Amino acid sequence: MERVLEIGQVAAGYCGRMFAHAGADVVRIGGRAQPAWVSEQAMSLYLHAGKRYVETTDLGLIGDLAARADVVICEARTADELIELGFDNWCTPVKLALTPFGRTGPKRNWRATANVILAMGGYTNLMGDADRSPLSLPGHYVEFQTAAMGYAAANACRLARQSNEIDISMLETLMALSQFTTVRWHCAGELRTRHGSDFWFVVPSNLFACQDGWVYLNIVPAFWDPLTVFLNKPEMLIDERFASNDSRMTNRDALHEIAAEVLAGLGKADIESRAEACRIPLGVVQTFEDVLADKHLAERDFWEGVVLPDGSLVKSPSSPYRINGAARKTRSPQTPVSATGVW
Amino acid sequence: MVQGPLNGVRILDLTHVWAGPLAVRFLADMGAEVVKIEAPYGRGPREFPAAPIGGWMGGEAGAEPWNANAIFTKLHRNRQSLCLDLKQSGGLDILLRLVAVADVIIENFSARAMPSMGLDYAALKKANSDIIYVTMPGYGSSGPYRDRVAFGPTVEPMSGLTTMLGYTPEEPRNSAMALMDPIAATHAAAAVITALRQRRSDGHGAYVELSLHEGGVTYSGPWLVETQLEQRPECLGNRHPAMAPHGIYRCAGVDEWLALSCEDDQQWHALCGLIDGLKTESDHAARANTHDEIDVCIGAWTRERSKQMAAEILQSAGISAGPVNNAPDMLADEQVQARGFFVTYEAFDIPMPGNPVHMQGLSSEQWTACPRLGADNVEVLSDWLGYDDQKVKELTSAGVITDIPPG
Repeated sequence: MERVLEIGQVAAGYCGRMFAHAGADVVRIGGRAQPAWVSEQAMSLYLHAGKRYVETTDLGLIGDLAARADVVICEARTADELIELGFDNWCTPVKLALTPFGRTGPKRNWRATANVILAMGGYTNLMGDADRSPLSLPGHYVEFQTAAMGYAAANACRLARQSNEIDISMLETLMALSQFTTVRWHCAGELRTRHGSDFWFVVPSNLFACQDGWVYLNIVPAFWDPLTVFLNKPEMLIDERFASNDSRMTNRDALHEIAAEVLAGLGKADIESRAEACRIPLGVVQTFEDVLADKHLAERDFWEGVVLPDGSLVKSPSSPYRINGAARKTRSPQTPVSATGVW
Repeated sequence: MVQGPLNGVRILDLTHVWAGPLAVRFLADMGAEVVKIEAPYGRGPREFPAAPIGGWMGGEAGAEPWNANAIFTKLHRNRQSLCLDLKQSGGLDILLRLVAVADVIIENFSARAMPSMGLDYAALKKANSDIIYVTMPGYGSSGPYRDRVAFGPTVEPMSGLTTMLGYTPEEPRNSAMALMDPIAATHAAAAVITALRQRRSDGHGAYVELSLHEGGVTYSGPWLVETQLEQRPECLGNRHPAMAPHGIYRCAGVDEWLALSCEDDQQWHALCGLIDGLKTESDHAARANTHDEIDVCIGAWTRERSKQMAAEILQSAGISAGPVNNAPDMLADEQVQARGFFVTYEAFDIPMPGNPVHMQGLSSEQWTACPRLGADNVEVLSDWLGYDDQKVKELTSAGVITDIPPG
């Protein structure tokens, strides 16, 4: 079984989680918890189920464990912190460094949270309303995406039977995953800006209130005709204001008003079934309780169970990909072990 | 040929739009040999009714607008293009022959598309029992939502994220950036490599499925677990449940902002040393309770400074802060410049986002530009299938392969 040593917080934890889902023996070094969006217990159940952990700050011991691992994932707050941990001295075949800005460059020791990386990476500027403060993205997108990149790169090295040191910056990860922010600037000469929930470039693509919540419509041009059926407004098909996506952009407010009026009179369940029948792209805003009770996810056997100390189970998302329909596992919370009991 | 750990891995890329091509771009950057299988209309018609969202490479549509779409170009470096009409039996036959000599085939069509072309996993496996088939339908290939139309922005609210993103719980917002796509992309790339490793150990091909929806729900995982522990996560605007202050603050200039987060008491004390009116003795709970007042003090300080200057001052005191960057800011950032992140391998020297993976043996110096539609028809059919010139001419005359969209 592949041995993976995990050092760090959310990014390292998510990367280790991916290794654990792939069947690796993941041992993490416990340490100070990073401020997270949920309680320490919830984060631990989500990230660390099925792992073992060693509580130590002894750098010599950590180095010994690294020497016995096939892969070491090391997340640090700065490039220098990585050096202080001893990263450069470890002889693990594949060493993965996850830091906010990377191991080199003038900002390698800048301090950053996800809030800062989202801002510098161009995401925050695009979220929120035009006349208000931009919105930062809640949750751990930055850490999870960096971790997924790291997992893929480390596994590519293992596939090639290659020893390597991998340096991944959270800032560059976000920029690599940007939609079209920089090319639009360069090629169309236009700055992309924020417009609330409105995607802006195809109309209507926005969030609308309904009787019991909210729904999102994303009507790319191919779905215009079905939308008129969905809204029960066939007259819109011959309305010059809405004849093309360009004209719909020009008459955005009028179109939004029509859609808003229709949707405000309907409930989510009704809207969903109508959207399905008309085959238009629409999503209902689900609460977390809704997601946990979602019939589709249940029927697809999406969830894995994590056992709580009292024997009850918590549902946790399993791996987002599934190979050969592999059965979902029930996992235990992380287990403490002594360093001498590892490998 | 790009050097990298995936050298020797052959991938057939049938993806389109964003999630799929982004996943394959990563694999190509890591050295995989990728052939993009494109429909004659795959890049749009000969004449475009309007400019694409990302604009044209070089600013103009040019003589071949289908080859000048900037967003498409950004996503399709380091691969060859084979333009194949899969609606013809000859096209399907070629695809299955390519499958026979490939390692991976990846697509992100709707759940119906591949089976309707006679290209379900059974057919692919018949052509190559070792093939790794990766499918990325919006809601997966089973379950009650299987046939729903899915795009990133409509799947996002189904993940629970929309209840957390917004100014207040009563004002939810969608990211309007189709965030489910890049989440699916990174995990699809991870899935491909995991399946390749698995194949090496068990000797078998694989069916790999990943849905945009389940990728998004995975992102919401911590909140979903928290919800079951009797906690109720709620939208906090730009604030954070475990850090205070945490926010986006207006700076000098028009629509200029700074992101700032105090991770701990040490950063808070440093902040108190810079900004008037803050109480050093406050702990996190006290700061969270007086966040409005703290914001007033920070806002007064940031409004007097440019976002870059404010970030520099705060960082020099060890505080997590950074400018809210727009596109030119991103390109000008000295850190990404120093690390050579944006790369100018495409026409017109357009800087394209690079690969965030830095390691020995990987270099963007070997990168090749996005190929023209069907640019590699002859080479791929010759190299992969051993077809001679005559055979290629016949296929071209029959319209099975082409390098121009139909008129």
